[in-house]
Amino acid sequence: MSDVTAPVAEAALRPGRWSFRLAVLLCAAGIVALAVSVAAVLVRGVGVWGNNIPHVWGFDLIAYAWWIGIANAASLFAAILVLRRHGLRTAVNRFAEAAALAAILAAALYPILHLGRPWLFLWTLPYPSYTGLWPQFGSPLVWDFWGIMSHVIVTSLFWYIGLIPDLATMRDRAAAAGRTGLARGYGLAALGWRGSVAHWHRHQAAYRLVAAMVLPLLLWAQTVVALEFATTVVPAWHQARLPLHVVVTGLPSGLGVVLALAAVLRVALSLERFVDDADMDLLGQLVACAGLAAGLAYAHELLVGFLEEDPTTRAALAARVLGEGASAYWGAVLLSAVLPQILWSKGLRRRAAVVVPVGVLAAAGVWLDRWSIVVDGLLRDHLPDLSRGYSPSAAEWGLLGGTVSLFALTLLVFGRLVPAVSMFETRHEESEAEAEKEER
Amino acid sequence: MSQPPPFGLMAEFTEAEPMTKAVRRARAAGWTRLEAYSPYPVPEAAEALGVSAAPVGLIALAAGAVGAALAAGTAWYVSVHLYPVNVGGRPLNAWPAFMPTTYLVAILWACAAALVGMLALNGLPRLNHPAFFARGFERAGRDRFFLFLSAEDPLYDAEAAARFLAGLSPLRVSEVRGA
Repeated sequence: MSDVTAPVAEAALRPGRWSFRLAVLLCAAGIVALAVSVAAVLVRGVGVWGNNIPHVWGFDLIAYAWWIGIANAASLFAAILVLRRHGLRTAVNRFAEAAALAAILAAALYPILHLGRPWLFLWTLPYPSYTGLWPQFGSPLVWDFWGIMSHVIVTSLFWYIGLIPDLATMRDRAAAAGRTGLARGYGLAALGWRGSVAHWHRHQAAYRLVAAMVLPLLLWAQTVVALEFATTVVPAWHQARLPLHVVVTGLPSGLGVVLALAAVLRVALSLERFVDDADMDLLGQLVACAGLAAGLAYAHELLVGFLEEDPTTRAALAARVLGEGASAYWGAVLLSAVLPQILWSKGLRRRAAVVVPVGVLAAAGVWLDRWSIVVDGLLRDHLPDLSRGYSPSAAEWGLLGGTVSLFALTLLVFGRLVPAVSMFETRHEESEAEAEKEER
Repeated sequence: MSQPPPFGLMAEFTEAEPMTKAVRRARAAGWTRLEAYSPYPVPEAAEALGVSAAPVGLIALAAGAVGAALAAGTAWYVSVHLYPVNVGGRPLNAWPAFMPTTYLVAILWACAAALVGMLALNGLPRLNHPAFFARGFERAGRDRFFLFLSAEDPLYDAEAAARFLAGLSPLRVSEVRGA
């Protein structure tokens, strides 16, 4: 067999181009904004945010739920590809996993910051202290702590286990290129992997096992936020369908981001051969399907909501859909459910100039849906006076922009340091294709 | 000063199929200290080597069960004994409310154990291995397949082993020595 994956390794080993440096510079500027916004929260307290009674949640929870949605859809996609041994996994698996990890890192910032006194987050851990205080395991705050921690660790493990053999390849290539320092770095991360057939066998078992365990974890990660809403008495939130709604409408965001990333990466890293037109076709159709599923969730919301007997609940939905919240609601429907439908056209979904904006806008649409639930859900309540509205402050915008930069920077670094496409799986697939050709 | 004895012999192949066949032949000939290397998973060769992946799953399962028991036990002990809070007369042992953390910790432990167990069974991490001294071994991570017969095998005899490997039509056979 031939060495088919050389371009993938070279993409990670060659020096960065000016466009890469510019992108890193832009992200670094965003990280400065993030640092300033975080510092503002730490020094002045959560009062720098615009949320206050009745709007106890604002940008912090919208962004948290949004990032979790992106991470979930990307991980779900990667896990299913691994478990089904789908051909698409060779192309997009690695960066779907990386996107999930980057999104989780962005999401994990929020719950820590909105604790108010983030440095006391360890109070949610069960450990003996002189105060004699212990966390309450019936509390959603404690669930959240364990949920987010497990999510971050398991997503990292999923990404890292799949990466070990490719890190070993990078080590050998860097050593062959005479870059000893780099080779040592890769070598440490590769844990002495030497490609033993017995090791491969156990490695694949571990990889698939973790992929299988990612699935139940994802369901949990997104539904627990929705459950916290559903357990309140606010009419727009007190809905049994909310967990399902949040999971399903979250799909276009993660898949849209993976699609946009695939389109950018294949051009930026010259990986057209590994992420080919057929792969882009499948991904585009998948995003369109996710949009369709989200559309059904919205239709269900309208149908069930307006059939509701309780007038307060109906009024709350009407305010979101037809009243003051209409622009956010229909913006969400348009961007995350309707717009992706253009990807059914083969001509359109093969053009990077189309799929990148459609993918990013689908994610933006999901953000609008989270705004519609979190902020506009409070337009009508049992309380008579809800006149005080919510408007995000500069610190909140800074945090949102900052986490987007953090996400982008994490992916840029991943794209440069580790192979963007799973090399061992590509080799495997190519050798199988060769064998089939010979049989014919 | 005399040279140290070799670590063993390495045969190099260009395809997975002949390497798998070579593993089968070596096992049939009674070799026990042998290792095969490939750039991607070759389950048939692993089977021929008599390697089972089941222990990885068992370790993960056991760790998941321990994690779940630990999480549920902690929640119960904290809520019932260490810091009981009476909320409207509800039972202190509110086990359904303890399930979310139990479930999460079980998954966390199982996933961590899958990685740690896989590494432990593989004898990793380690800083070096005799195989890395073999000629052209860096291609085991790219496009070549290798079969290694260790000098520690009771059957090992440099000449006979070399003759045996040459009979498997490899690309080349080389002795593996420390640098």
